[in-house]
Amino acid sequence: MARGEIELSKLTKQFAEVTAVDGINLQIPGGEFFSLLGPSGCGKTTTLRMIAGFEQPTSGQILLDGTDVAYTPPHRRNVNTVFQNYALFPHLNVYDNIAFGLRRAKRPKGEIRERVGKALELVQLAGYEKRKASQLSGGQQQRVALARALILNPAVLLLDEPLGALDAKLRKALQIELKSLQQEVGITFLYVTHDQEEALTMSDRLAVMNGGHIEQVGAPQDVYEDPETLFVADFLGVSNLMEARVVSAGTEACRVAVDGYELETRGTNQDVIGAAKIVIRPERVELEEHGAPPGPNRVPGMVERLVYVGSAVQVIVRAATGETLQALVQNKGTGLGFEQGTPVQLHLPPDALRVLPSGIGDEPSLKGEEGQDAAEEAEEETAAAT
Amino acid sequence: MTAVAEPRATPRSSAFVRIRGWLRNPWGKPRFLVLITWAYILWSIVPVLIAVQFSFNATRSRTVWDSFSTRWYWGDPVDSVWHDPTLRHALVQSFKLAGADVLIAVPLGVLLALGLARWHGRGSGVSNFIMLFPLVTPEIVMGVSLLLVFTQLFTFIHTGTFAQILGHVTFSISFVVVIVRARLFSIGRQYEEAAADLGASPFVALTRVLLPLLTPAIVASAAVVFAISADDFVISQWLSKGGPTDTVPIQIYAATRAAPLPSVNAIATIMMVSTLLIVTAGFLTWRLFTRGERRTGTAAEDFGGAFNIS
Repeated sequence: MARGEIELSKLTKQFAEVTAVDGINLQIPGGEFFSLLGPSGCGKTTTLRMIAGFEQPTSGQILLDGTDVAYTPPHRRNVNTVFQNYALFPHLNVYDNIAFGLRRAKRPKGEIRERVGKALELVQLAGYEKRKASQLSGGQQQRVALARALILNPAVLLLDEPLGALDAKLRKALQIELKSLQQEVGITFLYVTHDQEEALTMSDRLAVMNGGHIEQVGAPQDVYEDPETLFVADFLGVSNLMEARVVSAGTEACRVAVDGYELETRGTNQDVIGAAKIVIRPERVELEEHGAPPGPNRVPGMVERLVYVGSAVQVIVRAATGETLQALVQNKGTGLGFEQGTPVQLHLPPDALRVLPSGIGDEPSLKGEEGQDAAEEAEEETAAAT
Repeated sequence: MTAVAEPRATPRSSAFVRIRGWLRNPWGKPRFLVLITWAYILWSIVPVLIAVQFSFNATRSRTVWDSFSTRWYWGDPVDSVWHDPTLRHALVQSFKLAGADVLIAVPLGVLLALGLARWHGRGSGVSNFIMLFPLVTPEIVMGVSLLLVFTQLFTFIHTGTFAQILGHVTFSISFVVVIVRARLFSIGRQYEEAAADLGASPFVALTRVLLPLLTPAIVASAAVVFAISADDFVISQWLSKGGPTDTVPIQIYAATRAAPLPSVNAIATIMMVSTLLIVTAGFLTWRLFTRGERRTGTAAEDFGGAFNIS
């Protein structure tokens, strides 16, 4: 499936004084479910709007199946968009909304009727033809928007936080539906979201964006397990970050010192010397009883707080190193054995610990925050201008 | 909410309790607001109702009520609106001006609003501001200057119907622009973008999506333009060449300075009722077209909101 291949090359968008998208390079093969993930104002929506044709890039290229479409008007691009608030035409009913694109393409009436019928079946809305958009629930509107975009057989479907306006349960159901729909139609889905769980659940690959840059690109598992920057580690899920001093670094394993305790971590390809940060996911932190045999990568601590979240219990532990760590313990119904004030021993398995250079990781994320605010303003500006 | 104001098991009469509750918490319900609102409505509507009442008077008096008759509408063979050529011509002239004004100012105003709302380059801010000038310029200033323009500069335009139409269009375009632009902003860009995304060229997006969505604002502005044109005195007067180009307001003004008959009330009533009907029709169309949209306020608030912006 070569159709629907996107390549962004040094793509840049500047609004009056802000650089919303700062020279990003990205390659998305045809048929992939790709997500752009990042906080609001990171440039992900601007990137999507440039691919759709609503914004013109300041510089750079947008290659769609090998052709540069950066300056092609939106109505001549073989991409379709599902908008954040669906943008269903309020003066048209469901049928006319879905048929809108085919009518613009001057398809014969019989064909339009047949294809609209099929599209309605695809999104399970057969029988709703005569309804107005306002007579549909949020989930139904979202499906109409999908049908309206997919009926034109685009090479790429762009989705701008399409589930943002729905409640949590419906969102979960539609995530699975969207993914299976994408596999059914086999075209490229470019999905923009700020919800890390959404991106992790659905994507084949994803890019984490921050301040107009791409921080990391990879499969959900790689990005989650192997964050390359502090921003990615922090943005994707909850991370425990600790200050550390690198004792020895290598591609196989590293050794770091955290306030007198020496820990072994995973190897790294990055250049880490001196001050660094180590990262561990809460679900990888293991809690052992106080007095258990001490061993490598173990730090004593004290349970500071227990937070019951249903499927799991968050245990906040004050480690002897002075850091506060969060551990996530699955709720198996057998009770935890700890309570507030219980001394425990933390086990931080070497393969769950990652060293990240604090200098490189810190700087872009700090700079990113400023840029982020500015870009957010720019995005608001464009929103206000609409 | 007002639990204090309603003590349980009180031996005193309920009226007393209620008054005491009012005094303790006069702002519990917006009673004074309601009272003042109704007082204002009465104050503003009573003179109009009296004027309407005397248009149906059987005698020549505009102050002493005799009995009901339609004499001043068509019954009287000389002085009724129907038979007096001056009044009849004034009525025709007023409707002619208002109709022409709607037909010219509304399309022009819609195009101007589209242009101004989409133009973000240098000078767009100034132009947007200048569009509001006719709304704040005293009419008398505009009337005099238009007369000067027509008598000194563009001398091929003579006073009379054509000049009057030009004058009305000049000041009513602003109303159209303000109303349509407000609607354009509330519609936003998303529907145009969706249309473009689905393969519609800018022109098709305009005719198939934007204009249908603008219809309520267009109808509302047409109603407003009709009403202000029919109501206009100053500009119509300055640009009139007398005789058949005098409008209803001019005739009413002239008549009240001489010996006014109830026929003046009758022609005023006709103007008021027809304007009211047109504005109501505009409102109903607005509501019909915006029915499909989810909105927080009622249709009436929205319609009124379009006017308030001016």
